[in-house]
Amino acid sequence: MSGIWVVVEERDGRASRISWEAVAAGQKLAALTGLAVSAVVIGAQTEALATEVAAKALGKVVRVEHPLLAAYTADGFTLALQQFIEAEKPDYVLFPHTYQVRDYAPKLAARLGQVLIGDVTGFAEGPVFVRQLMQGRLNGSYRHSGNGPCFVSVQAGAFRADEAQVGEAAAITVFSPTIDPAQIRTKPSERFRGAAQTVDLGSAQMIVGVGRGIKDPANIPIAQELATALGAELGASRPICDNGWLPMERQIGSSGQTISPKLYLAVGISGAIQHLVGIKGSQCVVAINKDPDAPIFEVADYGIVGDLMEVVPALTEAVKAAKQ
Amino acid sequence: MKIIVAIKQVPERDAQVRIDAAGKWIEESGLQYTLNESDAYALEEALQLKEKHGGEVVVLTAGPERVGPTIREALAKGADRAIHIDCADLGARDALGVARLLAAAVKPEAPDLVLTGLQSDDLGQGQTGVILAELLGLPHSSLILHVEKTDTGMTVKRELEEGWFRTVELPTPAVLTIQSGGNKLRYATLMGIKRAKTKEVRTVTAAELAVDSAPVAVLERVALPQKQKSTQILPGNPKEAAAALVEKLKFEARVL
Amino acid sequence: MLAFTAILAEPQHFSLAEKLLLVVLVAASAAAFWRRFGVVLDKILKSKKDPSFHLFPIGKRVWDFVCEVLFQTKVIRQRPLPGLAHAFVFWGFCAFVLVTLNHFAVGLGLGFLNPASFFGRFYTYFAAVFALACAAGIFGLFVRRFLVRPKWLGKKLSWESGFIAFLIFLLMVTYLASFFVADADPATRVLWWVHTLTLLTFLPIIPHTKHLHLILSPATVFLSRGGFSQIPPLVGDEDFGLIAGTDLTWVTSLQAYSCVECGRCTEHCPAANTGKLLNPKEIILGLRGYLNDLGPASEEPLLGKYNAQEAAFQCTTCGACEFQCPVGIEHLPILVGLRRGAVNTGAWEDEYGSKLFLALERGANAHGLPASERDKFIEKIGLPIFDGTQEYCLWLGCMGGYDPKGREIIADFARVMNFLGTSFGVLRKEKCCGDPVRRLGNDLVFQQLAEANLETFEQNKAKKIVSICPHCVRTIQEDWKEFGTPPQVEHHSEFLARHTDKLPKQANGETIVFHDPCYLGRYRNVYEQPRSVVALAGELVEAPRNHERSFCCGAGGGLVFLGEETGERVSHVRAAELVATGAKTVGTACPFCNSMFRDALAEKGEGAPQLLDIAQLTARGLPERSAS
Repeated sequence: MSGIWVVVEERDGRASRISWEAVAAGQKLAALTGLAVSAVVIGAQTEALATEVAAKALGKVVRVEHPLLAAYTADGFTLALQQFIEAEKPDYVLFPHTYQVRDYAPKLAARLGQVLIGDVTGFAEGPVFVRQLMQGRLNGSYRHSGNGPCFVSVQAGAFRADEAQVGEAAAITVFSPTIDPAQIRTKPSERFRGAAQTVDLGSAQMIVGVGRGIKDPANIPIAQELATALGAELGASRPICDNGWLPMERQIGSSGQTISPKLYLAVGISGAIQHLVGIKGSQCVVAINKDPDAPIFEVADYGIVGDLMEVVPALTEAVKAAKQ
Repeated sequence: MKIIVAIKQVPERDAQVRIDAAGKWIEESGLQYTLNESDAYALEEALQLKEKHGGEVVVLTAGPERVGPTIREALAKGADRAIHIDCADLGARDALGVARLLAAAVKPEAPDLVLTGLQSDDLGQGQTGVILAELLGLPHSSLILHVEKTDTGMTVKRELEEGWFRTVELPTPAVLTIQSGGNKLRYATLMGIKRAKTKEVRTVTAAELAVDSAPVAVLERVALPQKQKSTQILPGNPKEAAAALVEKLKFEARVL
Repeated sequence: MLAFTAILAEPQHFSLAEKLLLVVLVAASAAAFWRRFGVVLDKILKSKKDPSFHLFPIGKRVWDFVCEVLFQTKVIRQRPLPGLAHAFVFWGFCAFVLVTLNHFAVGLGLGFLNPASFFGRFYTYFAAVFALACAAGIFGLFVRRFLVRPKWLGKKLSWESGFIAFLIFLLMVTYLASFFVADADPATRVLWWVHTLTLLTFLPIIPHTKHLHLILSPATVFLSRGGFSQIPPLVGDEDFGLIAGTDLTWVTSLQAYSCVECGRCTEHCPAANTGKLLNPKEIILGLRGYLNDLGPASEEPLLGKYNAQEAAFQCTTCGACEFQCPVGIEHLPILVGLRRGAVNTGAWEDEYGSKLFLALERGANAHGLPASERDKFIEKIGLPIFDGTQEYCLWLGCMGGYDPKGREIIADFARVMNFLGTSFGVLRKEKCCGDPVRRLGNDLVFQQLAEANLETFEQNKAKKIVSICPHCVRTIQEDWKEFGTPPQVEHHSEFLARHTDKLPKQANGETIVFHDPCYLGRYRNVYEQPRSVVALAGELVEAPRNHERSFCCGAGGGLVFLGEETGERVSHVRAAELVATGAKTVGTACPFCNSMFRDALAEKGEGAPQLLDIAQLTARGLPERSAS
């Protein structure tokens, strides 16, 4: 069997950050198991992508190429990789756990009589793969049983992209699968953004909320700058909207919008229950408030006790620096 | 159209997580169970399609006897009948094993559409629907927020990362995994529960379905995560605290 | 000529023709009366049976009848001047029974009361006093309706009321005038016939107008459901609440036909007072209109043409309407019944409502927050867990367990109990008592919550519960009865009031205006206990609308979970009233009132009164000691 193969996903023609994380994971797994690690890129025109990937410390890079792979489809990618895997016979196939991978990797694994061990956060001797259960309240250790390749996908941020080691340019080869147009049953459109005209906090992934601590409507731009730096939406607790400092559609709370972003920053918000009810779906809550006893800190994952007039600009700068 | 909705009964979200004696799963005694959240959205989508286009909604679930109330809840919300795969060792099967059970029950029904929730609240693998499609030889799409019937099949709205979406056209029969939040859920009503008493629930045992059950991905043991959820107050002057926060958000919380 | 004769004049001789005419007219009047009244009675009797209605115990019914009907207590107490005027009219009618009977008897030559005899003089003078009072009363009411025009009587002038007022006045005038003529005067016969015709005109009008209450309301008061906001259990598998005419029981139909249109219910309704669609009087009249047009066997929806669904869901269940009604109409079972019909069938589509129901279907509390938050709170302030050995089980409720302000109240109350040496513990797991879903009409979720909680109490064997929330107290004590035997429960104001002698009296306390919670005051009749607690902390000040007149904070009926309201905010209207008293502190005894006023008072900015629950007011007077 041919070792570990990392499937690299592209984003706008370049390898996505989470793919580098998968490469780093693959290299770690290689160290753990003593197997070789290589990468596979998949698409219709993968030359540039393959060259980029080959700069990392990998044994080989294979370009799985076919015109029908120009746009992602589950049928296309599954067929292509199935043929590749049957030819190469890998020990492990490692994916980044993206929405795209979730759409085809289980299908691919099932076709080969295997099961994807998905959204892995780490691995240990065995190898044993750790993933989260019960919404993060439990960790489970999985082991692969039987013959055939072991399919694994790694969680975003579980491994660090900057730890993907570089090496000598790996050898690049091309693999051309056989795909009949009739085998591709789904037709995807171009991707598009959600409705831009109304503020839809309900589906925003990152939100900065302002509360009474902002004291003056003239200070709101400070929060807006933070939001812009993060690529976040701006929301507010009820009193701010009642005063007309922000429109009612930006109200977060039991009588406004219920939000469930990855990240919610509560700036100058004390944490009345009507507001807490609106934010309870947030994955990560950060609170910035000068009152250390503010109830918002009870539900925050991270908190900074301080004057938001100083903390927020500092945070904006730090975020911009990190995005560089 | 005939729509099958595969649902799962899972422990309630606030359930207290304690490891059982064998260390292989959580202690189940004293747990309250409920319908998996994204399955509720799948059911809602199916009911709305039935209300628009007519037909039948069948709920399918695998599990031990305790899944009864969850089946009744689905019937109360408007499903027409139910199929219960009586299986006491669901936890010992992996996603492929469970999908095989479901496929065996789905095949004779020959539905136009199979809906599942995106992922379960307990194991969270998000694979059952996709594998089911493979086993049934049907096209699929996942992370679906909206389904519309067309003359040639379906057009669905699929969620992508970071606020992007894509529409996908596919023929029926097909399998879709439904993401939470696409529709407003209907609440269970007293009238629904009363009417559910007369709806058919067909039980078939896992043994009767005679599928391969040896797992390929074996859950060896479970453990509580090291850090408990508590608020980390970041100290220092604004600049220091801000920098520390960004670091945490990037590498610990992994949201940046 | 007219001269006071001191003896009531009666025409002495009626010809056969006159007697025949009288008989014919009486028969015609009675027939016209029955033609309409018979229909109404038929509709009431053909309405569904009411299995929750129990005639016994009969004592309270008799007592209510004597007080409210015979002595007109509610009519007078809640609107003194017009109430007294009405009482005189009513008493006048009562006093006139013999007079009227004799009047007709005279027409047939069978008069049995001799106005010149001792008893005759006594009785006719007695009736004359009432006639004067009645005439004055009806005149005053006429002036009020047509000149003063209070808005609670409605915008349109009721000419039928004016006509009836005129008839009554005429009856009194013709009676009194009969003291100024002699038997033989031709004027006497004229007066007699005018009086007769007035009566015979009045009689058939009664069932066609709101004056039907003359006949029905004594029965309505006597035959009420009993209790306050008594929500009847659903019966059988096909009963989902008030959906169509076939769901109206005879009690409801009787009440619908008894409405006097006085508008007292609307006058005190928080929704009607803040520009919302809901008007309690119109709800009842809507039912009456439905019964008139379609009858009790109709399957047409009650919410539609005759009443709006939107209005039904604007009710905070504060109970001011039911409390004020002088004819015994019970608005709350009707409003909750209408909501049940919409919710139990899924006909009510409301984003926030669905969210609330789904949260309680799946989880433990009305906010949809994880139960672990409550556990964290208990651990943080070190509340003891109830293990059967303590005297009290302290019920946290959804506000005490999860709301920051509610938690502060619990923490302070715990401090007070510790100071008093009262042992208590909290339950490991609580589910919402079910009040919001009960008032919104979701019987499925309510049953699930009540049964789950009752089972917890079975296992924990708690005998006495104390709670900081009047909604929990009411729901546990009354509404859970439908599904089992609830343990004894009281509100913390009742507990504290028993211990005021052991609690420190605070010197130089500030002015504190106490807001009576609806569910403590009107629902439970507890008014003085929280006041005795407030008096320990400062100087008690009353809001203009206090005790049973207290104006709702707007949270009840599940409304606090339903998002933004239309019109003015009820909480802001009440807050303004409390602030206007000039008190330095607003004292509350309900965590929902507290939550509603928090935002409303904060808007007043600097100088707004502080907001404290009675537990907090008590705790601040305790000597400095470590907390629970």
